[in-house]
Amino acid sequence: MRPIKHPIARFFLHLALWIVVLTSSIPFFWTFLQSLKTKKQATSRTPIFLFKPTLDNFSKLWLKSVPDNLEVLAFGLIAILLTLILIAVFAKRLPVSRAVVNGFIVVALVLILWAIPKFVNTDTFYDYFINTVIVSVGVVLVSITVASLSAFALARYVGLAGVVLILLALAFRSLPRISFALPYYWMGQITGLYDTHFLLILTLAAVNQPFTIYILRSFFMDIPREIEESAMIDGASRLGAFVRVIVPIMWPGIIATALFTLVLAYHEYLLVRILASSNWTIAVAMTQYLGGVSVSGSLPLQSAAAVSGAIPLLIVVLIFQKQLVKGLSAGAVKG
Amino acid sequence: MKLKAFLQFSAPSNLIMVTLMIFPLVLAIIFGLNYITFRTILEPVFVGLDNYVQTLTDPAFWAAMRWTLLIIVIVVPAHIIIAFLEALLLDQVTGRIRGVYLALLLIPMIVVPVIGTVVFRQLFDPSGLIGWFLREVVGRRFIYTETTMKTLILLHTTWIASPFALVIFFAGLQTVKQELVDASSIDGATRLQQIRHIIIPHLRALFLLNAIISVMDFFRLFDNVFVLTRMNPIYHADTILTYNFRVAMIVNRLGKGNAVAVLSVIFIMVALIPFLYYMYREQIQER
Repeated sequence: MRPIKHPIARFFLHLALWIVVLTSSIPFFWTFLQSLKTKKQATSRTPIFLFKPTLDNFSKLWLKSVPDNLEVLAFGLIAILLTLILIAVFAKRLPVSRAVVNGFIVVALVLILWAIPKFVNTDTFYDYFINTVIVSVGVVLVSITVASLSAFALARYVGLAGVVLILLALAFRSLPRISFALPYYWMGQITGLYDTHFLLILTLAAVNQPFTIYILRSFFMDIPREIEESAMIDGASRLGAFVRVIVPIMWPGIIATALFTLVLAYHEYLLVRILASSNWTIAVAMTQYLGGVSVSGSLPLQSAAAVSGAIPLLIVVLIFQKQLVKGLSAGAVKG
Repeated sequence: MKLKAFLQFSAPSNLIMVTLMIFPLVLAIIFGLNYITFRTILEPVFVGLDNYVQTLTDPAFWAAMRWTLLIIVIVVPAHIIIAFLEALLLDQVTGRIRGVYLALLLIPMIVVPVIGTVVFRQLFDPSGLIGWFLREVVGRRFIYTETTMKTLILLHTTWIASPFALVIFFAGLQTVKQELVDASSIDGATRLQQIRHIIIPHLRALFLLNAIISVMDFFRLFDNVFVLTRMNPIYHADTILTYNFRVAMIVNRLGKGNAVAVLSVIFIMVALIPFLYYMYREQIQER
């Protein structure tokens, strides 16, 4: 529809939008404020909006003991991260190829995560964070590799087996996690894989894979067959054509789907809770900070945990927001 | 593509589906026929259909079923209407501010559900914003009772489910044919008439899609109920999945837990048949 032009109408339009935007985001800003308060300020009966912010709750959450030179270390970490961001932003101007830059950034990030416990005495929340990174990245790699092959096959094959497979994937997507989780628990106990990253990655990839296939397939359908057929005439095998010709074209779609899978893996509560007793991810670790029925006990710490758990994913999603929205709607609008 | 190539390409995925989806479901059916706890996980005792009979005669199971269905009946239409209105509003805005609005609207969907629920619940604490508002302005303290807890669950489910529906409607609105809307304007149609006669019919498939996806998702509602109620039974707010979790993990009846899971799989499958049939017809036509 054409946009409304009338100025008063437009005022009310933006007003209405601000109301819905605020109802969806104010709770998070409130918790963010709470995380920067002292316990007394946070549990005050009248909400306090103006106060001197403190980072105590965050250091209590992430660190076992606070080192004397914390400021220096924090400054160094921020400097390194800023350098990496600058490298990423100006990647086009650098004399090396994009892949080399991306590889360098990934290696640097892994090194930072590995090195942090060497410098400061980190608490278990850091371990949970590392678990979350390992598990969600693992799930993305496994399910994207497996699902893109299958989605490609589904987009190209016209027989009845394809229809059966896609319906089966849709049916599996809608089943409750717990109907898989309890048998997985048993399988984990039998094989001795209980409470390992490997089991978490494999099972999470398995339960999220059907939806990954469904979204990826709608992207592959857009690519004309002639492209891989011409590559095959030039002597490439179908797999070779897929890897060398189709995947590069499909890269934006794959990124979108990978992001969506990442969000699903990062969010998972039930499976991780049942399949791990110590190697928890952040979603499960959060429930440690809930307290009993009356929660006022550690409200600012709880808020700090909520903020720390939410922010890494928010940053990643904000960077790739356009692709995520595209991926979400592509699977839906076309399918 | 030939059948052989199709099978080769989909082999890894099919292997995972067989070993990690079909095989566990078979296991769940077998476990459902046995008496197992976490301590006796390696020595199950065969009890036949006992677990199923116990579940189907358990009033708590039917209470959970009724509550889950009530959530579906209330929240599915509520969040679809809200998301559709939000999408219409957002469609009226252009430029950079649209991206800002969209990013803020999507936050409840991107933040980990467990964390989103913690954040939501904090508002109702004695020190929280809404708790304070109710006390100072309305003059009532917010107390967790069965009624307020169930209201919170309904509100929170709507809050967390609408962003996804919004994205889908918003993407759908971008495909509305502008010429059609313009032509109707020339014929004197008002905006409401355009929405009623052009936009809603155009988005009919998306309304259906949102309804189906949310019915499936609300049927397995777990995270937010788990965090809001902290599994405290006094609220009588168990959904099918939290009931299932309670039986398996808290009461420690793994066999009965599997029986409940199998029963809920059967319920979902029955509810899915019309959708799967619809998809089947569409897929056949595409080919």
